[in-house]
Amino acid sequence: MKQKSAVSELEDRTLIITEKPDAAARIANALDENGKPRKATDSGVPFYIARRGGEIVIVPALGHLYTVGSLEKDRKSYPIFEYKWIPLCEAERNAKRIHAWIATISKLAENAEIFIDACDYDVEGSIVSYNALKFACGEKQNSAKRMKFSTLTKHEIENAYLDKKPTLDFSLIDAGLARHEVDWLYGVNLSRALTAAVKRNSGAYTTISAGRVQGPTLRFIAGREKTILGFVPTPFWFIRTVVELGDAILEVEHEKKTFNVKEEAERVVKSCEGKRGRVEAIENSEFTLAPPPPFDLGSLQSEGYKLFGFTPIQTSKIAQRLYLDALISYPRTSSQKLPPAIGYRAILKNLLKDPEHEEFAASLLDKPALKPQEGKGEDTAHPAIYPSGNLPERTHGKAERKIWNLVVRKFMASFGDHATSSNTEATIEVEGNRFHATGVKTVNEGWIRYYKPYISSFTKFLPPMKETEVVKVRRMEVEERFTRPPPRYNPSTILKKMQKEGIGTKATRAGIVQTLYDRKFIRERNIEVTELGLEVVDVLVTNCPAVTSPRLTRILEEKMTRIQNGKTTREEVVRGVIETLRPIMENLKDNEQEIGKQLSQALGKARLKDRAIGSCPTCKTGRLLIVRSKKTGKRFLGCTQYFEGNCRTSFPLPQQGLVRSSGLCRLCGWSKIRILRKGKLPWNICFNPRCPGKKKEGFK
Amino acid sequence: MKCEICDRESGEGEFCIAHSRTYIKVVEGYEIWKKGLRITWEDYLRRIRDNSLTGKWAKEVAEYLIDKGEEENVEKS
Repeated sequence: MKQKSAVSELEDRTLIITEKPDAAARIANALDENGKPRKATDSGVPFYIARRGGEIVIVPALGHLYTVGSLEKDRKSYPIFEYKWIPLCEAERNAKRIHAWIATISKLAENAEIFIDACDYDVEGSIVSYNALKFACGEKQNSAKRMKFSTLTKHEIENAYLDKKPTLDFSLIDAGLARHEVDWLYGVNLSRALTAAVKRNSGAYTTISAGRVQGPTLRFIAGREKTILGFVPTPFWFIRTVVELGDAILEVEHEKKTFNVKEEAERVVKSCEGKRGRVEAIENSEFTLAPPPPFDLGSLQSEGYKLFGFTPIQTSKIAQRLYLDALISYPRTSSQKLPPAIGYRAILKNLLKDPEHEEFAASLLDKPALKPQEGKGEDTAHPAIYPSGNLPERTHGKAERKIWNLVVRKFMASFGDHATSSNTEATIEVEGNRFHATGVKTVNEGWIRYYKPYISSFTKFLPPMKETEVVKVRRMEVEERFTRPPPRYNPSTILKKMQKEGIGTKATRAGIVQTLYDRKFIRERNIEVTELGLEVVDVLVTNCPAVTSPRLTRILEEKMTRIQNGKTTREEVVRGVIETLRPIMENLKDNEQEIGKQLSQALGKARLKDRAIGSCPTCKTGRLLIVRSKKTGKRFLGCTQYFEGNCRTSFPLPQQGLVRSSGLCRLCGWSKIRILRKGKLPWNICFNPRCPGKKKEGFK
Repeated sequence: MKCEICDRESGEGEFCIAHSRTYIKVVEGYEIWKKGLRITWEDYLRRIRDNSLTGKWAKEVAEYLIDKGEEENVEKS
């Protein structure tokens, strides 16, 4: 009851809509005259009342409150081209609290006179507020104003409030709405077609998803997988050579680097081994290394993975938390530029207060002029990621501290001087063969000083030497090496590839990769494509190659940009997509039976693989599967040869938790399993009852 | 017809598309191994089968050819 009165008390007020509750709290604190806004709740939905001349109510959304949904109730039929925007709670089972959220915003909108959109200033943020203003506030999108800010600092929020834009950015909104609608059309139609094909063949309902961006992404990961699966290594040879130079021992490299014929390498070793040679030439050169540009989201995710092993989604979430704590600027940016308006010196002066960064900030402040190194990346909405200058007010977790430090160091490094190194290359001649030795020494650290914890040293020692000085070959050996398959994509390189191919947006790429994991199309950190993933790609390439083509996705991205620039309309783009999809869906329907057969087989294999734990230790030919007893309903491990009447081996299993294969036991060589239970540490078990490790582990 | 290695459809040929393509790579790879190491076809197949860098499909093709005792560079479709 108390909450209800909090809503009805308010009159003639300004209503500000933010994207998330944390942002609402920050904005309310910044705008309230005394920095103490009143917090209220309505049906569990928080909102804030700030005083600033009049009354300002700040209510958060919860990310997207609305989504695209079908006009029809049937959730299985396809093709489907009719849609509308609906509350998220009507489309997703686990979004029930959205209902209360929308109701609260609607109530608060009833007496409001001025509406302000203060969601994140990008496509997604603009859609969140547009839909809330249109559907929850009663078509207030045309009269609403827009606050634009890149950090949640008091100073910037106040400026954004005083200098708000008179209207929403409708071209940006139209482009965003079109993207959601197009993605929904592709996703719902392709996924329903594949799922229906499996259902028709096997009778079982299994969601097989595909989409406009998922298709091309899976296709190029699968392309890499096929190269690895069919890879044939070829040999080459390398000569490891160690020479004596005075008292120093030095490893040198033959001018040919590698040999394709083993005998050739052996001939060189035979002619040079134990022989003397001389230093033929010494060349010195200097090279400079420009400072790095500040982070955009992609490069922050990439560095986060390389240095700390954080997946792109983790880094993105950490950065978002740091933004909501007003410690860094808005992280979902493609920009690598830092405009002077952000106030370089003010930020560095604030960083002087942090003991960890004091020394570096002071040395930069000593420079007569500050000019950051900038990259090519541009973003009309936000600058590159930079520290706001605020220092942490609460104790942050290690991960948050790491990302904050990284952003601060990169920001400072971008203002550093060029680093200079000297390079010495010596050529040594032995029996007509030339060998090279290289040394690198840092002359001027420059920007490296600021970024040192995160960059490996360039220094490589080379002993002092003179031309004509005599060297003796101390050891030579031929090493056989093999060409290697291309590396698997990892969570960082896959994002770079998507960015290069123009697939997805900075905000959606990491989520798309996660969907591929969730659907079991890919697995492992170094990404492997599962049999199901390979089969889905084959089905799509055979039956609708266009939807796996990066070209189609790139053209659509261009169309979104054209909407943003006012050169085409959202309706025109969506109409074009429907015309493209119509024949594709007809073709999929015509081939439903064959597609269903192909996918069902792959699903069967994938399920069998999930259930298989290892080979049977008794018969050595069968595999151990997780089986459920029809009689007792309990699960156990049984040999696949049981069905042929060849092997009766079985082992009991814990009845709770997920069972996964965990390699071989180090002590007895039998297969091991790992039990995964919610909220508990993984439990590794060797199922050999006589394993020598049993006593130690106390396992019975 | 079914692929001799994986039971997938192989049309009129002995192998499915994936194993046919891999077979060609195995044959091409032998030229490089032969030049570099003066190795016989049989030894080559054994060495690539046992090499940890060899892909799964290539290992399957090598294993199949070893079992079948097939001689060097026979045309496949």
